[in-house]
Amino acid sequence: MKGVILSGGTGSRLRPITHTGPKQLVPVANKPVIQYAIEDLREAGITEIAVVLGTTGREAVQAFLGDGTEFGVDITYVVQGAPLGLAHAVGCTRDFVGDDDFVVYLGDNMLDQPLGPVVEAFEAGEYAAGVMLREVDNPGQFGVATLDEFGDVVRIVEKPDVPETNLVVIGTYLFSPAVFDAIERVEPSERGELEITDAFQHLIDDGRPIASYRAEGWWKDTGKPGDILEANRLVLEDAEGELAGTVEDGAEAVGHVDLHETATIESGAVVRGPVSIAAGTTIGGRSYVGPYTSIGPDSEVRQAHVENTILVGETTITADETIVDSLIGAGTTIDSAEDLRPRGYRLVIGENSDLRL
Amino acid sequence: MRIVTHTCPTCGTVVAGNVLETERLLRCPGLDCTAVLSFEDLSPEDRESVLEHATSYR
Repeated sequence: MKGVILSGGTGSRLRPITHTGPKQLVPVANKPVIQYAIEDLREAGITEIAVVLGTTGREAVQAFLGDGTEFGVDITYVVQGAPLGLAHAVGCTRDFVGDDDFVVYLGDNMLDQPLGPVVEAFEAGEYAAGVMLREVDNPGQFGVATLDEFGDVVRIVEKPDVPETNLVVIGTYLFSPAVFDAIERVEPSERGELEITDAFQHLIDDGRPIASYRAEGWWKDTGKPGDILEANRLVLEDAEGELAGTVEDGAEAVGHVDLHETATIESGAVVRGPVSIAAGTTIGGRSYVGPYTSIGPDSEVRQAHVENTILVGETTITADETIVDSLIGAGTTIDSAEDLRPRGYRLVIGENSDLRL
Repeated sequence: MRIVTHTCPTCGTVVAGNVLETERLLRCPGLDCTAVLSFEDLSPEDRESVLEHATSYR
């Protein structure tokens, strides 16, 4: 069994964060999203992994993952180029996959469930493909699956106006090499992409059953800022980090606080977990860092109240203000304007920013 | 639609035919690889297929 991680896409819904890097490297609990996919595959015993790259942030992903050694896997890169659809991305991995079965994992998705049992079930069966399904309240926004009496998939419809079920396909697929012949028969859709749902339909039309597996834990598509914050909250709730850094006398760190050994909580600061604080970061006196906050490396927070927020890193906040529910990109400075006249906000904001003042 | 790819003989990085068609000549995008890849590396049949679908690719 091999693994394929799809790491293309433009990240348009995450701008301006993705102006300077790919969405797959946005950190959740101080770990890039794509690393969760790598680790999920590795824990399922899959160490031969292809990472399919698009045109945005290709080199940054390669710089982060390297050849995979650091993560205990062997990575082959597949350069897809223009975003021509999931079926095209999968089709580009044919030479890498060879005669093996394989798991496809969307690189901006997160899944709170071990893949091992699903992989074992798929390998034990005679299926050409398998999908993981989850019940949702808003199926019309996803690929909706219809099952037969045996639980096999008989139809997948992308974003239907009238969903037949509330079972949606999440971002993890299992395939036998038979899918490549099905992909060859897929023609570009109206939006000019080769749709993976069309490949599934070709398999079904060929009489090749598609297995379904229920996703039991949470699942997040981290395509939007709100999704990133929600994933951050979910991961921090179960985080296992430790208070390895310096907590000065007079500082307060309560609840689960994952403090890197080179990070410091200075006297007078209050940190209430679950919180993750990365290397080289200082939480200064009079500041408060509240639950579900991840602060990236080499950052500084002084006087501010920060809660349910992600600071990507290299960020300095010294304003005596309250910041909540925010995703703050790397290299940001938020300083006080209290002594400046005329009074008012002073902003240097990139394109596609979203502010609530 | 047939999907054409080319595997770098030096590092094993796979490059889609549409990328080769667009760039025509490029340094292999593999990590630290200095090989030069060309659209001409594809077989005549593959080149024809990529060109045939160039509109779709764009």
